[in-house]
Parts: sequence; C-alpha cells; structure tokens
Amino acid sequence: MAERLVATAKRWLYTTNHKDIGILYIITSLFFFVAAGLLALTMRSQLSVPNNTVLNDEIFNQFVTVHGLLMIFWVLSPFAFGFANYIIPLQIGARDLAFPRLNAMSYWFYLFSGVMIILSFFFGAAPDLGWTFYSPQTSFEFAPTIGLNLGAGALILIVVSITMSSVNFLVTMFKMRAPGLKLSRMSLFPWSILITIFMMLYAFPSFLAAVLLLYVDRAFGTFYFSSIQGGSLLWDNVFWFFGHPEVYIVLFPALGIIGDVIPTFARRPLYGSKYVIGALVAAAVISFIVWGHHMFLTGYGVITDKLYTVTTVAVSLPFDVIVISLIETLAMAKLRLKAAALFTLGAVALFIIGGITGVYLASVALDYALRGTYFVVAHFHYIMVGGSIMGLIGGLYYWFPKITGRMYNESMARIHFVFSFIGFNILYFPMFLLLDMPRRIATYTPDTGWGLLNFSATVGGFIFGGAQLLLFYNLYRSLRSGPPSGPNPWNGWTLEWALPSPPPAHDFDTIPTFSDDGTIHFGSSIGLPNGSSHGDGITKPDSSSIGHGYSALHAEGLSPWPILMAFAAFIFFLGLTIGKPANPQPVSYQPFWPLIADGVILGLISLLGYSRERFTVHEDSHVESWPFRQVPNMKLGIWTFLGAEVIFFGVLIGAYFFVRTAAPTWPTPGTVFEIRNGFAMTLVLLTSSLTAIMALASGRAGNRNGLIVSLAGTLALGVAFLYIKAGEWFTLGSGGVFNSYPLPATSYFITTGTHGVHVFAGMCMAVYLLANAIKGKYVNGDHVTLEHFGLYWHFVDIVWVFLFPLFYLI
Amino acid sequence: MNTNYLYLIIFAILIGETDIEVNLSSIISSTTYVTVLLGIAATKAILIAMYYQHLKYEPRSLSVWIILGIVIASLLMSLSFVQLSYHSFHYGSS
Amino acid sequence: MAIANMQVQFDDLFWLFTYLAALVAVVVFGLMVYFIIKYRENPNSHEPDDAPILGRLPIPRGHARSVIITVSLSTIILGVLVIGSFGSIDSILSTPPPCNIPIYNYTTYNCSVLVTGHRFYWEFTYPGYTNNSVTGQPACHEAKCLFVIPVGYDIRLNVTSADVFHNFGVIAFKVKADAYPGHINNIWFNAGAPGNYTIQCYELCGVGHATMVTTLEAMPLCPATITLTTRPCFEQWYNSTIVH
Repeated sequence: MAERLVATAKRWLYTTNHKDIGILYIITSLFFFVAAGLLALTMRSQLSVPNNTVLNDEIFNQFVTVHGLLMIFWVLSPFAFGFANYIIPLQIGARDLAFPRLNAMSYWFYLFSGVMIILSFFFGAAPDLGWTFYSPQTSFEFAPTIGLNLGAGALILIVVSITMSSVNFLVTMFKMRAPGLKLSRMSLFPWSILITIFMMLYAFPSFLAAVLLLYVDRAFGTFYFSSIQGGSLLWDNVFWFFGHPEVYIVLFPALGIIGDVIPTFARRPLYGSKYVIGALVAAAVISFIVWGHHMFLTGYGVITDKLYTVTTVAVSLPFDVIVISLIETLAMAKLRLKAAALFTLGAVALFIIGGITGVYLASVALDYALRGTYFVVAHFHYIMVGGSIMGLIGGLYYWFPKITGRMYNESMARIHFVFSFIGFNILYFPMFLLLDMPRRIATYTPDTGWGLLNFSATVGGFIFGGAQLLLFYNLYRSLRSGPPSGPNPWNGWTLEWALPSPPPAHDFDTIPTFSDDGTIHFGSSIGLPNGSSHGDGITKPDSSSIGHGYSALHAEGLSPWPILMAFAAFIFFLGLTIGKPANPQPVSYQPFWPLIADGVILGLISLLGYSRERFTVHEDSHVESWPFRQVPNMKLGIWTFLGAEVIFFGVLIGAYFFVRTAAPTWPTPGTVFEIRNGFAMTLVLLTSSLTAIMALASGRAGNRNGLIVSLAGTLALGVAFLYIKAGEWFTLGSGGVFNSYPLPATSYFITTGTHGVHVFAGMCMAVYLLANAIKGKYVNGDHVTLEHFGLYWHFVDIVWVFLFPLFYLI
Repeated sequence: MNTNYLYLIIFAILIGETDIEVNLSSIISSTTYVTVLLGIAATKAILIAMYYQHLKYEPRSLSVWIILGIVIASLLMSLSFVQLSYHSFHYGSS
Repeated sequence: MAIANMQVQFDDLFWLFTYLAALVAVVVFGLMVYFIIKYRENPNSHEPDDAPILGRLPIPRGHARSVIITVSLSTIILGVLVIGSFGSIDSILSTPPPCNIPIYNYTTYNCSVLVTGHRFYWEFTYPGYTNNSVTGQPACHEAKCLFVIPVGYDIRLNVTSADVFHNFGVIAFKVKADAYPGHINNIWFNAGAPGNYTIQCYELCGVGHATMVTTLEAMPLCPATITLTTRPCFEQWYNSTIVH
C-alpha cells in the first residue's frame, strides 16, 4: 500500500509526460480559480450595500489585487495551457513536447510561484495596489510592505515558467508535426496556441524587466519608477506594453477552443478558417501597438491620443471577422447543443458584448469619462470571464471524456450552463450602468445611488459562483462512476479523437500521416476513421489512474530535477523578498541570506543533476518542420530564447533612454564612468567571443588541447570582465555616486548589472564545459554543446557592444 | 578561406571599430556622434551574429526570432518617445 | 439636461456609440440566435456532406466576400465613431482662454485652479494664493480643500499630485484627469447650473482611496445688491475665503 503511494507520488512529482503535466496544470488552475473566486465573492459582499463593514479598506485592497493577479496569471493562461499540454501533441501527432523536462519545470515554477503569492497574505500584507502596480505608490516609500516584494518575486517566477513554456511549445509546433501536417492544415486550437506563444515570447520579457526594475527600486533604493522625472510614466509604458498583449494571451486559447468545438457540434467545417487564422495573426500583431489606450489620460498630447484611438479601433476589425465566421459556421448546420457547444456559443455571445464595449473605451474622448470606472471592469470581465472562462469550461466538457475516458452528466452540465450564463449577466451587466463608480473602492456612500446596482451584481455573483459547484460535482462524480465515453463521443476530426480515451502513455503507436488529398492515415493505432476500432475496442478506464498503461516506457521519463530546480528558485526568491528592512534610512530591504544561499546551492545541484541525467527523447525523423527544416530542436530552442532576451534587454535599454530623455540634466561622457574601463571590458569580451568560437572550431576539428586552451581562455576573459566591473562598481559605490547622480547611477548599475549576471551565468557554463573538455568530451563529433554555449555567449557579447557606447561614450 | 582565419579577421574588425568609437567624440558633433555610435554598434552586432553565431549560414527563418524581437522592442521605444516629446515635466511643487 | 458642457458632449457621443452598438448587437445576435434555432439538430436533420469526420481534413469552406463585407461595414461604423471622437477630443484638449471676474475692487479671478492630489484628499490652490501646509490627513476640513467655481464660465484645472498616482474626476461633469507627481494635466469645463457636484479619486492610491471624496460647488455670480436672503454667490465666497 505504502509502495503504491510512493509510486504514485513519484509519478506525479517526477513526471515529464505532457498529459500528466496537462492534468496538473488544469487541476492547479481550477484550485486558484476557486481561491480567486472566493476573494471576489467576499468583495461583492462588501460592496453589496453602501458603507458596509465586511472588509476594511486594507483587506479589500489586498483582495482586489490578489484576485486580479491570480485570475490573470494563475488561472486563465495555466488553464489554457493545461489543455495545450495535453491536447496539442496529440493534435499535431507528436509524442510529447520538444523538451519534456523543461515542460515539467514550467509547471513546478508555476506552482511554487502561486504558493508565493498566497504566502504574501501571511507575511504582513498581500500586494494591495491593484494588479497593475502603478508607480509611485508601489515604491518602498509609499508601500513599505513585504507583500509587494513577494508579489514581485512570484511574478518573476511565473514569467520564467512562461518563457520556458514558450520556447518549448514553439519548437514543438514548428519541428514535431506529423508528416503532411503543414501549418495551414492545423485546426484552430493549435493555431491559437501558436499565436499565443509568439505573443508570450515577446511580451513577457517586457514585464519581467518591469518587475525586476520595481524590485530593485524597492530593495536597493534605485529611482526608475519613484523619480518624479517621469517615473510614473515609465512604469505605465513598460507595464502596459506587456499588459495589452497579455490580455490577448489570456483570450486567444479560448477562441481556439471555441473554433474547434463549434464546428464539431455543428457538424460543419469552420467557415473561412484561413481568414480566421489570418485575423488572429493580425490581432496579435496589432496588439503590440495599442497599449497607449490604457494611458489616455496621462496627458501625452492630442496626436498620440488619436493614434492610439485609431490603432485600438483597428484591432477590433479582426475580431469582427472571427465572430462572424464562427456564427456563419452555424449556417446549414446540424447543431447538437451539448455542454461544450452551449458554453462556447455562450462565450461568443458574451465576447460580442465585451468587444462592443471595448470600442467605447477605444475612444479617447469617451475614456475621459469612463476611465477608472466600473464600465471598464464590466468590459474586461465580459471578455475574460464571458469569453475566456466560458470558452475554457467548454473545452473542459469537450475534452473531459478524452482525458478521463468517462462521460460527464449532460443534464447537470446544461443546468450549469444556464445558471452560469444568467448569473454572469446579472453580475456584470449592472456594472456597465455603474459607469460613474470608481474601481477598486472598498465602499461608497448611500447618496451616490449605487446601492441597488451593486446589490444586484452581488446576487448575480453568488448565482454564478454557486453554479460552478455543479461543474465540480459533475466532473468529480463522473470521474468515479461515469459511463465509458469511447474514443470519439463527439465525432470530431482532430487527431486526439483517434486515440483511446484516455490515451496510452506513449500516445500514438504510429504517428498519423496526412496525404495531399487531405486524408489522414492512422497506421495501426486503434480508433480508425469511422469511429470503430480494432482489437481493444473501447478501453475500460479505471479510476485508479488516468492515462493507464504506464509502463517502463513512462518510468523512463521520470526526472526529479525539474521540481528540485523549481523549489530552489522558490527558496531563492523567497530569500530575496521576505527580508525585513535594514533600517529606515536609506530605504531598502535586507535580503534574507540563508534562504538565498540555500536556493543557490540547491539550484546548482539541480542544474548539475539536470545536465548529467540521461534523458532520452524519442525523435521521429519524418516530420513536418517548415520553416526550420535543417535546424535541430535544441538550437531552435536557444534562438527562440534569445529572441525573448532581445526584448528583455531592449526594454532595459529603452528604460534607460526614457529616464535620460525625461531628466533635465545628465553628466557628460567620462565624468562619472571611466571610458577606459568600458574600453577594457569591451576588448576583453570581444576577445572572449573569439576564444569561444575557436573552442568550437577546435572541438569540430577534434583538437583536444586547442579546445581546452580556448575554453580556459574564454573563462579567464569572462572572469577578467567581471573583475574589472567589480572594481568599477566598488569605486563608484564608495564614491557615493547614488547621491550625486541618482538617475545615471540607477540606469547604469541595473542595466550593466543584469548584463553582468548573464556573464556570470556564462562563466558557470564555461566551467562546466571546461571540466568536461578536460575529461575528453566535445572532440568526437559531440561538439554541439559548444555551439549552443557559443550562441548564448556571443549574444551576451552583442548586448555589451550596445551597452558600452550607450553608457560610457554618450 | 580557412574559417579560423575568417574569425580572426572579424575579430580585428571588431577591435578596430571599438577603437574608432572611443576616439571619434573629439572629431564630430554630438548628435551625429550618437547616430554614428549606434551604427557602429549595430555593424559589430551584425558581424558577431552572422559569423560567430553562424547566422549567415543558417536558414533565413532562424534570424526571424531576433529580427521580430528587435522590431517589437523598438516599437516600445519609439512610441514611448513620441509621448515624451509632448510632455513637459514640472519638478518640485508649483 | 445640461449640467456641464463636457457632460453634454459626453452624453451625445455616448449615445451615438450606443445607438450604433445596439444596431450591431441586434443584427449579430439576431443572426446567431436565428441560426441556432433554425439549424438545431432534430430527428429530420441529416448529417451535412462536409461534416468533419476522423480520417479526413475538413473541407475548406467560406468566401472572402464575407470578410470583405464584415470589414467594410465595420470600418464604416468605426469610422463614424472615430470622427466623432476626434471632434470631442479636440474640444477636451483645447484649453480656453482665461476669464476675468472682478472680485469687488480688490482683485480678479482668472478661472483657473491648481488641483493637487494627496493621500488621501484633494487640495485646491487658487492663483496667487498659497495654502498652509497640512500633513497627511485622511479627510480635509481646511479652506484649502474647498473647491468653488463660478457657474457659466470656462474653468481651467491644472491637475497634479504631491505623492502618488491619483485620478481626479468630477462625476457629473464627465471629466477626469490623471494626477501624478512631476506632471500637470490640463482639463477644463463649463458648469451649467449651480449646485454641489461630487469628486472622487479614480486610481487606486492606497488605503484611503475610497475616502478621497470631496465636493465641487458651483456658485452663480453675485447680483448687484446682496441681501440676507441671497444665496451664496461666487465673488462673496472668493473674497471671504480666498482673499482673506
């Protein structure tokens, strides 16, 4: 018995299987959904009548902030990516994601980051300034609470998780598709995920930079966002530059689910599917140039006002195409109104209302009255709850049979829909009428007249929240005793329906192939085109294990390093964020070194374990991989990651430009930062790039001595760089540069410091490589690791190539 | 030509450009200087990317990630600067 | 009812948006509901020819025509809304010239006020006069927190903050401005009728965010002769409160 328990624990803690990880994401996100939902219901109780005393102002502010953070980061995207993890490899005919252990690591980073945000409640106070963290109220001066630090730490962890996932999914979807499955032949769900991860890759590094700068401002007293020379505006720009693509990131997967579900239940193909895909791409692209509509009232001038009105209004056009196409799909259809269809159709209807009201907010003139009111709250809840959550719940009903092998109770699901839909509208529609009421206020007075609408909204909230109980009860009961569902209960065409429910651990026996005429061949996999199956027939699921059939093949995929690595990062960031203030002057935080040290040690051990572990990934050779046909997965992964790094450093450098332009004066070159030092560092780093490329050349040529010398040289030069920088920092710091030149010091230390961390990481890698080279590796055709190191190292060099003139010469 | 030789030539160009960067400030005006500096930095970056990171010999699609990243980062910078140019900052209380 | 010029302008534009929104909603929802009802599965319906089945890619369906019509109609509607919005924003952002209200024979008032957001109250400074400083009170009962303007004149507000990011909004006038340190935002309005109008803070600024409520009082100009039964009027208030 105990043995079974240990085996189950090991399986779930060490799994790298995409289906297991998908289930973990879905269950965890539902947990956070309930938590954030309870926060919301408490707030609604507080707001149901004027001058209420359920929550005081402090607690209310924390609740509203954590509700937003949890829903956006810990519920919407993870819920969607739970499905993506489970279903996408099946839909594209891959056996797993490109980097299974990285995938597991993404999940554990996500889980621990969620723990951190919940922990913040117990460390004095949770973050309490809105999920938007406006400056300067989030500076240490105005918010000297540990809660915001923990919030920042949790956000950094989840951004790391998301970036790892982005790289993983991008490589997988480009490089591991079944033969004949051109990108244009994918259904809408994989397309929506593909577009979402593009947006994630390029938007989240901006957020990471912003949160990092905020943390540094708070912990070390720098002045990025607290300065009155544009600090508020800098945060506003950098945050919303991420923030707007983010709200599309949480929407698109649901649109993808809707685009898969409606055609299945309408028994007709999606109308204009290539236009829908084109519209999604267009919306994703435009989403990066509309962020100014969150800043309409900051006073940036009439031309910028009009520009953002036009771009924001333009972004509604692709959504019109998508909505019309979804509706036209229903023409001449044979529509079965099962739960998934009800929820996705309901989602479309609510999305339409949300989208129309978005156009109101796109008008800068109307925004002068609607800014910061419940009209905005209603708008985005119609999209995020009405569009996204309802669509995701539709996905849950849609794929529940596939994942568990059991059918849920259809009548209960329909009742769930009816109460959800009605409750939703009673909850949120009154908020449009509350367009005078400010957001995020803990209470209001009776003379405002807002009492009745608020009370109605609260009633709706309880109906909507209560209805979700039906969901959980239905799924729980069906999991235990629902009837077997069979492989294809909905008669869908996408590949997951060709597998048994639930699929075996290895997914397809033979990868399906797509011929030119559009037929799909399944080889010897069970579940043939007409829904019947050979041999096994409908597998009888047992409730003891979802995805039964775990064999030695699966045990091979277990690895402890992802969870250990995530835990190490968790402890590290906990140490960085829970330290008490050293003393009131200067305002700063004292990091809690014991935890930081533990985190670093555990992290290094995990990294070592991870790299030395023998982990085999089955790679099929005949796959669709346009346009990266000759690029190996790992190399593609690294280049993808570097793309994200470009944004990250781009935002850091952009912040420097911003701060410098807004500042009235700036020291002339050479007065604060010695050009000599910068010149020396540049020469050192450029030479190290040369030695790095020589190392690769030696490895290729089988020249062991040359390799060792080159690697040692790279290491020495990198260390020299860090040594010169340390000396420079020491001189500047002890010379009081922060007092004499606060803003130049701030931008200099943070930007070159972040770069320095990257150099340090490169040095750690170089040590590892050198140790291996001495043992004789990399000279027998296995030099590809050197190439990968080189890609990273040369990128670090390129960043410095820009930092040197920007910080020393101008 | 021998690849190692090529690497050394690129290296020499990079060092030479750095030398020019440092010594140029005395010769040209400050606004041109910034543009020229950024231009030189860009050529260095391109050389490193094309030859050390081997992008010249890789499928064109691989460069896409970086180019997209640069375009998007520059969107942030340029549009934020349009805002700043319309701003007037007032320091201290009025 | 004209409470203020900005409010009238907002209402007009808002109703333009709403009429068009209702039109679009009726058409789109109507189509959707019609399709759902008409094409719902019933015992007589047969499986369409291009129904998705396992083993075959879906048969492409749809015309570019649909996209073109959707985008064209949307662009026209959106174009109308954008043009309306541009007209309004030009008005909102064009600061009117100062006025010249003589306050008895002492001084004149030029119809501008400096609004400063604090945690957690609003401070109003009339030109030429300074307020005594008071540190961080949740509710302000001093003279500096009184905000009175004359009815029927273009009032210009310079809005900023002494500490964090607030947002100043006069609810009934439908006018707002971000208030953040280091920057002054300019808004203006013209009050149509005397009365008390509520002001609230519209950006979460901390614990006292909900309590940053105060009142704008719009007073008419004083009549030629003032008696005991005359209602409060502007010059009298200005003279007694601001000048002294």
